[in-house]
Amino acid sequence: MEKCHKCGNTNTIVRRKQSGQILCQECFVESIQEKVLKDIRRQKLIEKGDKVLVALSGGKDSVMVLHILNNLRNRRIIDLVAVTIDEGISGYREEGVRIAAQNAETLGIEHRIVSFKEYVGRSLDEIMSDSNDRNACTYCGVFRRWILNKVAKEEGATKIATGHNLDDETQSILMNYLEGNIHNLTRIGIRSESKYEGFTVKIKPLREIPEKEIATYVLACGLPVHLAGCPYAGDSFRAKVGVFLKEISKEHPTIMYSTLRGFDKIKPVLKEKFSQKGSMGVCQECDEPAAGKICKACSFRLSWNQ
Amino acid sequence: MQITLIIGEDEKQVEVDEGKTVKNLLQMMEIPVETVVVKKNQSIIIEEELIEDGDIIEVIKVIYGG
Repeated sequence: MEKCHKCGNTNTIVRRKQSGQILCQECFVESIQEKVLKDIRRQKLIEKGDKVLVALSGGKDSVMVLHILNNLRNRRIIDLVAVTIDEGISGYREEGVRIAAQNAETLGIEHRIVSFKEYVGRSLDEIMSDSNDRNACTYCGVFRRWILNKVAKEEGATKIATGHNLDDETQSILMNYLEGNIHNLTRIGIRSESKYEGFTVKIKPLREIPEKEIATYVLACGLPVHLAGCPYAGDSFRAKVGVFLKEISKEHPTIMYSTLRGFDKIKPVLKEKFSQKGSMGVCQECDEPAAGKICKACSFRLSWNQ
Repeated sequence: MQITLIIGEDEKQVEVDEGKTVKNLLQMMEIPVETVVVKKNQSIIIEEELIEDGDIIEVIKVIYGG
């Protein structure tokens, strides 16, 4: 019987294919918490006195972020507010919202539930029933970012923490590279670096944690999480790239780390060459940051009224 | 030997050959190992763990596309 490489316990729950390390439940949970808190310190993601808005969907990633950042709240280093966006996806989102509220309540963290309907006038289901030209992820991504930024300002939050994990981040790198979206590549990173004051800095504390380890962590800790797939995600390009990366990781278990490390090395060069400097202005409709006269969210909203 | 296999809401009795691991079982059912966490008798286990007669194996799908 194989033993935990840290304490010798024979009840092991994880074999890290990238390193060969085998861990028991206690040592695994401890190692994950230490790694995330170390990344936060090393990358200076959070400063004392920050008010951090956690984008809490109720899924495994955001629930883990909330619970780990709560360590810093308990030590009075930061203040926390959890925000759940109800996109209006019938038969899917209700359960996530319920579980998000349950987690926030257990920890005694202020929780706001905001909806697409309330902020943009239509639920995602309504948007999609009327749209043939774009996939749901495009609308959802644009409006979620827009709403989070707005709510962060309403709440006086200084950081927005999201649950993006290692798999998400390497998918984004590969997707943008394959599609030739070099400008988008310059915006991928552990923290957003926009100098524009209208943007609240976004941080990704789980950027170096593999998705499966996050799932193992929340189950090992017995945290309530919403384990279900979004009905709109289906056959997206991201899903295809994700399947490819998971498949190739079987033979090459360190491939996601090397993709991430390699990207982080070339990113300063990409930024220097391809970052669109000085192009950020203010949207004429909503006063949120915009690349042109109108931000993407408002251009969608205005198109519905035509 | 016989085990109880739980996948989501579905629970059934399954015959498994001696000496098979959880990973073998997942492969037989064409479930990608990288998308699930498996519990044996209510404890999370490594997929290389051997299955024994009377085990309750719960397969929890944790990773969805997209």
